[in-house]
Amino acid sequence: MTFRQRHLALPVAVAIVAGCLAPLAVLVAFSFYEVEDFDLIPAFSFRAWGELATSATDWFLIGKAVLSGVTTTVFTALLGYPVALALTRLATSAKGLAIIVLLTPLYTGEIVRIYAWRIVLGGEGLVNTVLQGLGLIDEPLKFLLFSPFTIGLVLTYNNLPFMVLAIWVSAEMVDRRLIEAARDLGARPVDAFFRVIFPLTTPGLAAGSLTVFALSAGEMLTPSLLGGTSGATAMALVDNLFGTAFDWPLASALALALLATLFLVASAMAGLLLRLKGARAVIGRT
Amino acid sequence: MGRIGLSVLIVAAGFLYLPLVVLTVFSFNDSALMAFPLSGFTLEWYRELAQNDNFLKGFVTSFLIAQPVGILAMLFGLMASLALTAPGFRWRGLFAILLLVPFLVPKSVLSIAQAMIMSRVGFERGATALILAQSLVALPFATALISAVMVRFDRRLIEAARDLGASPWQAFLRVLLPQIRPALSGAYSVGVILSLADLTIAMFLAGRTQPLSLMVASEFRRELRPDLNAMQVVVLALTAALVGISELYRRRRLRKLAAEA
Repeated sequence: MTFRQRHLALPVAVAIVAGCLAPLAVLVAFSFYEVEDFDLIPAFSFRAWGELATSATDWFLIGKAVLSGVTTTVFTALLGYPVALALTRLATSAKGLAIIVLLTPLYTGEIVRIYAWRIVLGGEGLVNTVLQGLGLIDEPLKFLLFSPFTIGLVLTYNNLPFMVLAIWVSAEMVDRRLIEAARDLGARPVDAFFRVIFPLTTPGLAAGSLTVFALSAGEMLTPSLLGGTSGATAMALVDNLFGTAFDWPLASALALALLATLFLVASAMAGLLLRLKGARAVIGRT
Repeated sequence: MGRIGLSVLIVAAGFLYLPLVVLTVFSFNDSALMAFPLSGFTLEWYRELAQNDNFLKGFVTSFLIAQPVGILAMLFGLMASLALTAPGFRWRGLFAILLLVPFLVPKSVLSIAQAMIMSRVGFERGATALILAQSLVALPFATALISAVMVRFDRRLIEAARDLGASPWQAFLRVLLPQIRPALSGAYSVGVILSLADLTIAMFLAGRTQPLSLMVASEFRRELRPDLNAMQVVVLALTAALVGISELYRRRRLRKLAAEA
């Protein structure tokens, strides 16, 4: 058999299987193992899964991950649409610059962003100082830092560029004449958006939603470093079971349950968005 | 461009850059407290930073880890893109889904699973593990960048080169490579940048290696410090320089290609 270009897929596939799929498969195996004297013993025990099934905390945390992913997706979509649509109106020469402006914040380290928000939102931070200076508040707003609000804000911040990018690419492909036609026929800008632009950009919205959901739902650093008492996450619990408690079976079961739940929600979300009329029109009339 | 559109873009840019601007301002602020009003200009925190051996070591570690990640992401991204655009590749759909796995599985789940399997087979956690795991996470991004350029490439050019007697390797080097070089440098930078930005994977796989992000994270749990501000600004500036250089390089290549055409 001679060498063909397509054979280059092999080393890549091997790397992904060994580096991603094998570890996940091992997670499945470990979830049935038993632990004795800080040693992992191969077995076929349902102890971990049973414990997980009856633990209200674990399911609460998994639900929280889903909620956090969905909220972030909704917020980034609401903010992302106006930005993406404004970007399509830029002159071509300005678009290259706009991409750099949009993506540079993504290049800053996770820890840099978290650190910077602490300075912005703290008791003597930028927001509180400005509001107090304007005489709008007397006491610093406490809920700004170490609260669910902080987690929502920072997750939205972290993921907004991905959503904008996905909607933007989709919106660039909408034929401008369709919008003009709608306007000429008497549609208000709002109608033109909901009846023309939105349906035709649902593929971009679906891609953006999938990305943002995948990136935000499994996030553990932002909640743990900025969420204060509300910062508990399923992944932090997995980390704790893995490192401190040495309960690998339960850690594996919890991580798998989280992964499966996220996968189901993400597929449902993408499926729902792609079933919309506009998406079918864009992707192909099969 | 309407006035509404312009104000939307200004507000969005303000939101995206606000934390970074505040960080920079406080790194030059003459006070150990991160609070308003500002007290005056100083370079004291940068001086302290330059004298902190630990941080310098962290810098070097992060930099040395980021280089192989960039190179591996670029090489594997190139192979994946070549396979994806190869004629007659029956498993294209399946392969594309496989490539998305490192992107769609949360980094935290992936790293913990990798840490478990590694400790079972006796593979020591450390720089090597970190480099491999980060390269894997960078792979989907690198592949997207390279294959986006490659799908636009006219395959007939390769066929013409082959007809004129070029070996497959020569055809790749002399015909395809010059066209995709900007994308390759982009893939390399994405690998480097993702590696520098990462904290999650490092938390699980770094072992005794101490990249900068891990160091900052442990300091950060205790307190905010102005020299940490200064360090973040330095990291930010280095990353921006990297982005700038690779963008300039990309534009120059594109201009040169356009001039040749």
